[in-house]
This record gives sequence, C-alpha cells and structure tokens, in this order.
Amino acid sequence: MGSLTGTLSIAAQALEADQGALQVTSNNIANANTPGYSRQVAVFESAPTVTEGDLTFGEGVTLAQIQGIRDNVVELGVQQGLAQQGQVNAYLGSMNQVQSLFNEAQGAGLQTPLSNFFAAFQNLSTDPTDTSLRQAVISAGQTLASAFNQASSGLSQVQSALNQAIPQAVGQINQLTSQIAQLNGEVQSAQNSGADPSQLIDQRNNLIEQLSGLVGVNNITASDGTVTLTTSDGALLVAGQKSYNLTTATGTSGNVDVFSQGADVTQNLTGGSLGGYIQARDGSNGVIAAEQSLDQLAYSVGTAVNGQQELGYDGNGNLATNEPFFTLPANGSANAAATISVAITDPSQIAASSAPPPATGDNGNALALANLENQALPGLGGQSAISYYSDFVANVGTEVSQATNEQTAQNLVVQQLQNQKASISGVSLDEESANLIQYQTAYSAAARVVNVISEIAQTALTLGQGG
Amino acid sequence: MRVVPSEMYSELLSNLQSVRQNVNQDVVEASTGRSVNSLSDNPMAAGQLVISNAQIAQVDEFSYSVSTVQGSLNTADSALNSVVSSLTQAISVGTEAAGGTLSTSELQALGVQVDQIQQQIIGLANTTYQGNYVFAGTAVSTQPYDATGVYAGNMSVNNVAVGQGQTASLGLAGSTIFGAPAVAGQPDLTFQYLTQLSTDIKANNQNAIATDITNVQSALNNVIAQRSSYGDTLQQLNADGTNLSQEKLTLQEYQTTLIGADEAQVATDLSQSETTLQAAIAAASQVSQESLINYLK
Repeated sequence: MGSLTGTLSIAAQALEADQGALQVTSNNIANANTPGYSRQVAVFESAPTVTEGDLTFGEGVTLAQIQGIRDNVVELGVQQGLAQQGQVNAYLGSMNQVQSLFNEAQGAGLQTPLSNFFAAFQNLSTDPTDTSLRQAVISAGQTLASAFNQASSGLSQVQSALNQAIPQAVGQINQLTSQIAQLNGEVQSAQNSGADPSQLIDQRNNLIEQLSGLVGVNNITASDGTVTLTTSDGALLVAGQKSYNLTTATGTSGNVDVFSQGADVTQNLTGGSLGGYIQARDGSNGVIAAEQSLDQLAYSVGTAVNGQQELGYDGNGNLATNEPFFTLPANGSANAAATISVAITDPSQIAASSAPPPATGDNGNALALANLENQALPGLGGQSAISYYSDFVANVGTEVSQATNEQTAQNLVVQQLQNQKASISGVSLDEESANLIQYQTAYSAAARVVNVISEIAQTALTLGQGG
Repeated sequence: MRVVPSEMYSELLSNLQSVRQNVNQDVVEASTGRSVNSLSDNPMAAGQLVISNAQIAQVDEFSYSVSTVQGSLNTADSALNSVVSSLTQAISVGTEAAGGTLSTSELQALGVQVDQIQQQIIGLANTTYQGNYVFAGTAVSTQPYDATGVYAGNMSVNNVAVGQGQTASLGLAGSTIFGAPAVAGQPDLTFQYLTQLSTDIKANNQNAIATDITNVQSALNNVIAQRSSYGDTLQQLNADGTNLSQEKLTLQEYQTTLIGADEAQVATDLSQSETTLQAAIAAASQVSQESLINYLK
C-alpha cells in the first residue's frame, strides 16, 4: 500500500531528475558554439517498482544517464574527408606556385626566351658578318640560360619550402598524438569509474580531426574506450596511453624523409598536409619531376646547339670544334637548368658559317642552328623544344586544374559530412528551448506534488483533532 | 533532419565564399579580356598558346628575313639595271665605231668611253648592301672584282629561311652574272669582252669590232637573263610577305579563340554572379535571428 512519504520521495526524485535534465540543457546551450561538442541528452528511467500484495507501485524516476549523441561512422567519414582535404590543399598550394613560374597565359615562362634565342640565329642567317646580330645571339642565349636558371631556382624554392614544411607538420602530428594518448587514458579511467567520458571523447575527436588534417589516419576504437591510431599504411601513432613519434631526417638528396620507429615511411604517407607536401615534392607530377623535365629541356637544347655550333666555322674562319655555345653539366642532364650558361663571350666565336674562309658571309650553320627550333631533339622523346615545353606547361596546368576540382569536390564532401555530424551531434537552440520548457513544466509539476503531499500531511497530522 | 545553427552558419559561409569566387573569376576575365589567366584555367589552351606564340615569333622572324632579303635583292637588282644600261651603251658605242668612217682620234675617244663603261660596271659589280658585297657569293667581306674584272668572290650563295621549310636565295654569285672565265684567274667574260672591244676600237680593227659587239650582246643577254631571277625572287618574296602577315593574323585569331574571353558572356555571367552574391548576403543577414528562445518568458 502506498504511503505519503513514498509519494513525497517520488516527487523529490522527480525534482532532482528534472534539475539534472535542466543542467544538461543549460550545458548544451552554453556549448552551442564549442567546436567538436556533442550535445548531451538526459536519459530518464522509471525506478524499479515495488510490489505489495497484488499491487505494483511505480517508484518514480531516475536520471539514469547523460548520453553524448554522436555517430562514429559519420565521425570517421569526417576524419577521412579532412585528411583528403588537407592533402589536396597542401598539394594545390605548392603546385600553384609551380604553375605561376610557367604562366604562359600572362607571358611568363620559357617560350619567349626559347623563341627569341632561335630567332636570333635566324636573324644572324640574314647577315652572318653583322657583329650586332652576333652579339644579339649571345644576349638571347644569356636570356634563355637565365630564364632556365630562374625557373629552376623557383622550383628549388618550392622544394625547399616543402622540405621545411614536412618537419613542421611532423612536429604538430607528434604533439597531437601525445595529447590523444593522454586523453585515451582519461577516457579509459572515466569509463572504468563509471563516469561519463562524453566530453573527453569530444575533445579527443576534435584532436583526431586536427590530426587528420595533417596526415591520414586509421582509427580503431577498443572496448576500453581508447583509440588506436595508425597512418593509412599502418605505422603506429597512438596505442592506448602511448604515442609513437614520427621523426624526420634529411637524406643524401637534401630531401627530408619521415620515419616511424626507424623505418622510412615517406612514400607510404597519404592524406593530410603532410601527404600533400610529399605528393607535391615527390609525386609523378610534383616539383622534383618538374625540375627533371626542365633539366632535360635545358640539356637537350644546350647539347643540340653545342653540337651544331661545333660543326661550323666561327667569324674568324676557325672550325668551332672547341667553342661550345653553352656550358652544361658534364655528367648528363642533372642540374642542367640550374647551371646552364653561355660559354662564349666574343661574338666572333659564333659558328654561323658552314664553309671555310673566305666564305665569311656563309650562313649555312646559322640556318642550321635556327632550324633546331623545329627539330625533334634527342632526350625530348621525339619532340621539338617548344612542343616538349608546351606539353610540360599543359601538364602543370592539368595537374593544378585537377587538384582544384578535387579541392572543390572535397570541400563539399567535408561540408556535407560536417553538416551531417552537426545535425546528429550539434546543439539546436529550438530543441533545447523546448526541453527547457518541458523540464521546467515537469519540475513545477513535481513541486506541485510536494505541495499537495505537504497539505495532505498537514491534514493527516490534524486528523481527529476536530476543528 | 535536425538543423542546427552552427551548420547553417558554416554552410552560409562556404556558399558565400564560392559565390565570391565566381564573381572574382568573372571580374578577372572581364578586366583582362582573357578566359585563360593561369595554366589551370584551360591547360590544353595554355599548351596550344605556347605553340602558337612560338609560331607567331617564327612568322615575325620570317617576315624580318623577307624584308632583309628584299633590301639586299632590291639593291642588287637596281645595280644590275644599271649594268644593263651600261652594256647597252657599250654596244651602241661599238656600233658607232663599227661604221668605219671615224677618225683615229674619234675612235680613241670611243675606246676610252668603253673603258669608262667597264669601270662603271666593275663599280656596280662591287655594290654593297649594309656593308656586304652583294655579288661576292658568300665571301661578302671580300671585294669581288678588281679593276680588271677578275672575280675574287666564291660561287656559293646564302639561302635565307622565309617560311616554314621555305628559303630564298640571296642573289647570285658575280661570276654567274658576268660569266666565269674559261681559265681561272682571268677576268670574267663580260669584262674580257669589254676590254677586247675597247682594244679593237682603239686599233680600228673593224672585223673584230663586229665580233666584239656580238660578244658584248651575249654578255648583256646573260645579265638580263640572270637579273630576271632577281625579279622572280622579289615577286615571290612579296607574296611570301603577304602570306606571312596573313598567317600571323590567322594565328592571332586562333589565340583569341584559345584564350580570349567572350565579353558578352562574361558580362552576363558577372552580373548574374553579382546578383547571386547579393542574394546570398541578404540571406545571411536574415538567417536564424529567430529561435524558440525569443518566445520564452
């Protein structure tokens, strides 16, 4: 049989539960704009019943749990989206710099110096005895060489910026993984002690999202509440309460490599800024590949011009066998673009003539030199210099264009995933307001019950006293 | 689906950014008049632009060659024109001397006149264009004819590229025009004939004068024949020059189709994206000022 005190205690419990729910609501409203915060809901449960004879009485309500609302699948999606976004952003940043070095649409690049150089030979062929035309060939050669030098130095700057960015990214990654490992411990002990780890999990997810922006990670949550993080190819970053630092070292080529527990993982890293930096530096269309193409172009043009120059007779009537036009690296094309320079200083050294003296006005070799412009040159895959360069320019453009499209798509994907995440975990003020009203009403109702019980108790106490 | 404010704000921001990007792109296109302002705007067009720029540079180069060759050939042609007059004059002097009625002193004077004509022609054969001898073959720095008409140049001639795979020869070697001697080291035939004519006139060798006149006539015919090749080349070069201008125009038009912006289209796009931007900004200022909170008392 029910008792007044039992009823009072049900009402008191209800007051407590509603207060708790109001606190949850208030906390949600307070954190409406906190990044990574997952809304919490107060989970009410009816208290165990009491059976007396044939009757079963409810024993009120308890606030059983404060539950953080999140969807782990969406969370993983967001992390992966951020990793890809980070990669494409970093890649595009560097490739845009490469593109600007060869922006032929604005007149920058090698086409004009290349054309002018061959044009100078063509000019010379109309009057091989004209010293000013000979001087013009040397000037055009110097302009071409310095255009190669500048383009190469521009690429080197992008490359060295990447080599600086990689250790910085690695430093941030290590800081984040150590924080995540620490949170792993806190989540675990909260869970063990039965406390609610929701906000700790939010913090940890927030850090994992930041980490994903730096490097792509695989994420496995264990039953003890800890997450194990590895890079996309399995190099361990965090396990339990321990984090594993990535390290960097500069290799013989001058490029910075990334190591995980002693193993070089540079080429296996994908995702995040770090993945983007490595792709921009080492990728098949990256900066190093661009440098190699440029070196090949400089070397092929230089070698062809030298070869033809050495077949002719210079302005003094000497066979120009030992008068190369360009100075090139002795051992193949490596660094050719960076180091190419004009070897001859005296205009008379240009071998314009293909006939010995007195044919000082012969222009056969100047014409042959000018004609190199349209000839397939060795080392350029059967292409002329301009056609090779045109492909190179189109390649760089295509790479940037594709990355730009990917960036746009990836931004949308991340936006959508974050919307999805927000729609699950975000705080809706409308909803919280409604909850506020609901819990307020419930609280008032319970208070009213207390009031009523109090009156009844008064009645009971004065029962039989006559009035 | 639950909609939460933080989602709305970030969505709003990203939409505003993307609309602004469109406006920016349109402004760049409208202000530069080009639809391709960086390689990635249209990589294939950028690649083609490199090729066509190089082609235009070559066309300019060929045009320069054409005008240089024209200058040189015109100089040579006008010199040959004078040579033709001089030889014609020599023939008429010879014909005058061949009448057999002139006194010795008159014949002497005519002989001297032929000598002078010869020197005149040798002077013409040593004509220069921009410091180069035009009738010396490729030995352009060497004076091709001495006072007796012995040729010191060579028989090669420069060709100059005036188009893709097209060349024009820079005239003819002197000996081709004035007749190479049978024995090396002797003066060219034209000058041998003139010397002979002068000698025979001075000696009043009437029979020989007739032969000499025939010889000089044949030299004249040769000069006229060779000169016609200059005319042909010059005519060809004029045509080449016109073709090159046309080719350049075509290439430039091609470039416009490659990278030029469609002004009308850009203007329309720009006004459209500006309208969209205004709408997006207006939406942003309206958004979510209302929530249930406002109605709680």
